[in-house]
Amino acid sequence: MNKELNYTKAFNELQEIVSEIEKGEISVDRLSEKVKRAALLIRICKTKLTNTEEDVNKILKELDSATNGSE
Amino acid sequence: MPEILNNRNVFSLSEVTGSIRKILSERYSSAFWVKAEMNKLNLYKQSGHCYPELLQKEKGKIIAQFKAILWNDDYNHINNRFLTILKEPLKDGIKILFLARITFDAVHGLSLHILDIDPSFTLGDLEREKQETITRLRDDGLFYRNKQIKLPLLPQRIAIISVETSKGYADFLKVIEDNPWGYRFFHMLFPTILQGDRAIEGIIAQLQNVKKVKQHFDAVAIIRGGGGDVGLSYFNNYVLASAVSLFPLPVLTGIGHATNETVLEMISHTNAITPSKLAEFLIQKIHDFSVPVQDATEKIIQQTERLLSNERNRFQSETKLFRSVTENILIRNSNIISELSSVFAQQALFRFRNENASLTTFGNEVRKGIANLVLSKKQELNHFGLIVRKDLGGQLSRNRLVLQQQLKLLIIASAVRFRREDFLHIQLHAKLQSGLPSHFKNNMLELNAIERNIINLSPERVLERGYSITMLNGKAIKDVAQVCDGDLLVTVLNQGKIESIVKTTDN
Repeated sequence: MNKELNYTKAFNELQEIVSEIEKGEISVDRLSEKVKRAALLIRICKTKLTNTEEDVNKILKELDSATNGSE
Repeated sequence: MPEILNNRNVFSLSEVTGSIRKILSERYSSAFWVKAEMNKLNLYKQSGHCYPELLQKEKGKIIAQFKAILWNDDYNHINNRFLTILKEPLKDGIKILFLARITFDAVHGLSLHILDIDPSFTLGDLEREKQETITRLRDDGLFYRNKQIKLPLLPQRIAIISVETSKGYADFLKVIEDNPWGYRFFHMLFPTILQGDRAIEGIIAQLQNVKKVKQHFDAVAIIRGGGGDVGLSYFNNYVLASAVSLFPLPVLTGIGHATNETVLEMISHTNAITPSKLAEFLIQKIHDFSVPVQDATEKIIQQTERLLSNERNRFQSETKLFRSVTENILIRNSNIISELSSVFAQQALFRFRNENASLTTFGNEVRKGIANLVLSKKQELNHFGLIVRKDLGGQLSRNRLVLQQQLKLLIIASAVRFRREDFLHIQLHAKLQSGLPSHFKNNMLELNAIERNIINLSPERVLERGYSITMLNGKAIKDVAQVCDGDLLVTVLNQGKIESIVKTTDN
């Protein structure tokens, strides 16, 4: 859930930066900082697209212990 | 025939059954239509015959129950019509309107021999059941429950409830696994049968399993395909539908069929018409995330470059402007300076010439003026000299006259005195006989001295001695207060005059 919030937040923040930069609200002074931030957010988002970090065996194990635990 | 046994008519069992059969066949000679709930179909696979269990319920209680027989041929015929019209086979738990005949078998007893079943009655009943499910879900507030759950921005982790060998499952996997954008999905199969009424409990059981590990998943997909349109009525089941509605994760459905939408599809979070379409929906969701990220990347690069180049241009034009403005100012000022200096030089030359000319003129005038002045002063002096000489002469003679008069008076006074003295002398002759001559002699000497003094006092003699008379406008000056700076003074000497201009006075 935490991870999901992170990429959702990253996505939203990225959209904000794009909108700010498109409206010309970012001064040249803050540009570098914003672009660095955007690069980080893009990396988080893109990594998420090609990674899931879930493991079937782990889930099966959890499922087993949950089932046994409830019985 | 019955035999008499101890005065009793005793029938054999077959005589009883035979009698019943005879009476029933006479009484129920023709077939008739009956409606009932077919609790169990009881199809015997080997023989292909069915022995359905028929019920009538009232307020949940069984008020009538009957065995029935459906022979192999009739079953096949009826089942095919059901499949065509209802998209459902003959199955347990449906209401049927059937044509039957009462039969009685000596061994198997009383039963209804089903000759035909009207599929349209069952269809209406199933439809009614579906409507009831919908109404109930709405009443219970479950109809939109699952739709209200927010699908995560990236629904990448999917729990799949399907049949491992089904074509729909394979289609789904193919689309999400082979997506050309390289999107990564995590999926895990929770297998169950999806055919017939047992599907209900199968699906519910797997939903319970998914629920236990729900933190690993973004959504559940119920996938069915390739099985044709048959046997979907359980998707209208209230228990199944409510389990899906209440599920904590979004439930997606991809059930390939051509019939009307089932209740399950209506209440699921998202329904796609086929498993492939469901997979495409998920990929679209990922696109909806990925494309803006990609766009953002490009936009940020473009905008940053644009911003920087704008800024660079602005800076350059500012610099240019600054340079040109300062150059202009410098040129203007240097022009002004050179203009001013040339004007200054001209003016200076002009002034210098003018001054030179006027100085020359002035010099000439001064020279002329001085010459004139000298001349006029010389004349004036000459004239004055004459006047002075005349005046002096007058004065001298006047003075001489005065002196002569004084001398006369003195002589007279002396004579008077003499006479008086003489008288006194005579009177005092005796006493003063020796003193008188010396007294007289003394008086004579005195007179001589006075005379000398008078001579010495004459102006000529004074001038002779080196004294001079200073005059202004022909009058002698006796006090320095009489003269001012610049006054023309005439100094009369013993010999000649001097004209001079007063430079300073000292009091």
